[in-house]
Amino acid sequence: MKITVCIGSSCHIKGSRQVVEQLQNLIQKNNLDKEVELAGTFCMGKCQEGVCITVNDDFYSVTPDTIESFFTKNVLTKVKA
Amino acid sequence: MNNLCADIGWKSINHEGEQLCGDHVDIINQNEDSVIVVLADGLGSGVKASILSTLTSKIISTMMAEGLSLEECVTTIAATLPICSVRGVAYSTFTIIHIIENKTAEIIQYDNPNVILIRNGENYDYQKNELNIDNKKIIKSVIPLEENDTFIAMSDGCPHAGIGLSYNFGWKVEDIAEYMKVLTDIGYTAKTLATMLVDECNKLYGFKPGDDATACVVHIRKREPMNLLFGPPRNRDDCNRMMSLFFSKEGKHIVCGGTTSSIAAKYLNKPLKPSLNYESGDIPPTAEIEGVDLVTEGVITINKVIEYAKDSLGKNELYEKWSIGRDGASLICRMLFEEATDINFYVGRAVNPAHQNPNLPINFNIKMNLVEELSDCLKKMGKRIKVSYF
Repeated sequence: MKITVCIGSSCHIKGSRQVVEQLQNLIQKNNLDKEVELAGTFCMGKCQEGVCITVNDDFYSVTPDTIESFFTKNVLTKVKA
Repeated sequence: MNNLCADIGWKSINHEGEQLCGDHVDIINQNEDSVIVVLADGLGSGVKASILSTLTSKIISTMMAEGLSLEECVTTIAATLPICSVRGVAYSTFTIIHIIENKTAEIIQYDNPNVILIRNGENYDYQKNELNIDNKKIIKSVIPLEENDTFIAMSDGCPHAGIGLSYNFGWKVEDIAEYMKVLTDIGYTAKTLATMLVDECNKLYGFKPGDDATACVVHIRKREPMNLLFGPPRNRDDCNRMMSLFFSKEGKHIVCGGTTSSIAAKYLNKPLKPSLNYESGDIPPTAEIEGVDLVTEGVITINKVIEYAKDSLGKNELYEKWSIGRDGASLICRMLFEEATDINFYVGRAVNPAHQNPNLPINFNIKMNLVEELSDCLKKMGKRIKVSYF
């Protein structure tokens, strides 16, 4: 599974750094280093919806506050399934 | 015309408790390849010294830039300077470094510590001819320039540093030369070298300078072009034209901006690889494209570069951050401030629709202002700037 986080200007201001850090922690905590690849990208062209991330090719909009529940719902369940 | 140019930087510290500096440095560009630098040190310290040195350096630099003779400059100063009521004399010492067509340095010294010339890593002893103008003993030297020559002019506050504290007789000029010759090899800018010298003096004074101290460094170096791409063009059809102009230029290439770097990567037909390493808290990570020397985010990074540029023109206190930082802004700073002498900006005027949200601290006007502010700062650093809009 590949998670890509936008690190462009807009998403940066909206907290993509915190999102990246939380994802790094969550991946480590759940021992998913092998299953989940984390990457960055510049602008996805949807700045209004930032922080923009994609899981495989599906687009999602998250914030530093929602990323943990997002991870539980959309990443953990899928990886374990 | 050769491919040399002069990088000039200076720094002063004030006599303890004084708000004004009694030393003054004036730099006047005569033309693209000739410049006049005057360092004057007024008698005493505080307001009086500041007036004397400001007048002296302004008068000399303006008159010399207009092509008047040294004799006329000196007599004018003698006739113009106000006479000190306590000491009954009008007095300001001065050092003139006149770079002519980037080929020759004419050095004229009156009562300041001798200008140090570091050539090939050694303290170079140049010929000094004594002149007598208006009963003033003035030393004049004419030196053909070589690449990497570093001239260091000082006020007497530098060799007097540490008298009675660290050294019995202060920091001797020869010892200053020894200290500086190690540093000139590393590739620091003139501003940084001057800052390091004056900071060392301040330390020797125990951070309570007993005199104003100023160092001015003129470093002769090769011209180094640098190209910076910022923002996509207003018209999509111009992408290829903008990219081919940008990439055909000699020198290193910096690409700033997310969309911009995607366009560059597409043009070069190479993958764009963003990193996720946050080297510094508030600057977005950089990226890599084969064939581009540096790829960074746009507005936030450039904004930081401007903050560093302004500081470097003033107090130069953030130097320690950008000189070693690995974030995008620090990397750009080192390339623009230290490496480059001629910078070409390729600025795209596309409006990013996503940035037109009032909730975001980014908008089109800010972006255009950033370019202007940055090029202003760089001009003040003595860089040649060319901006092309697309």
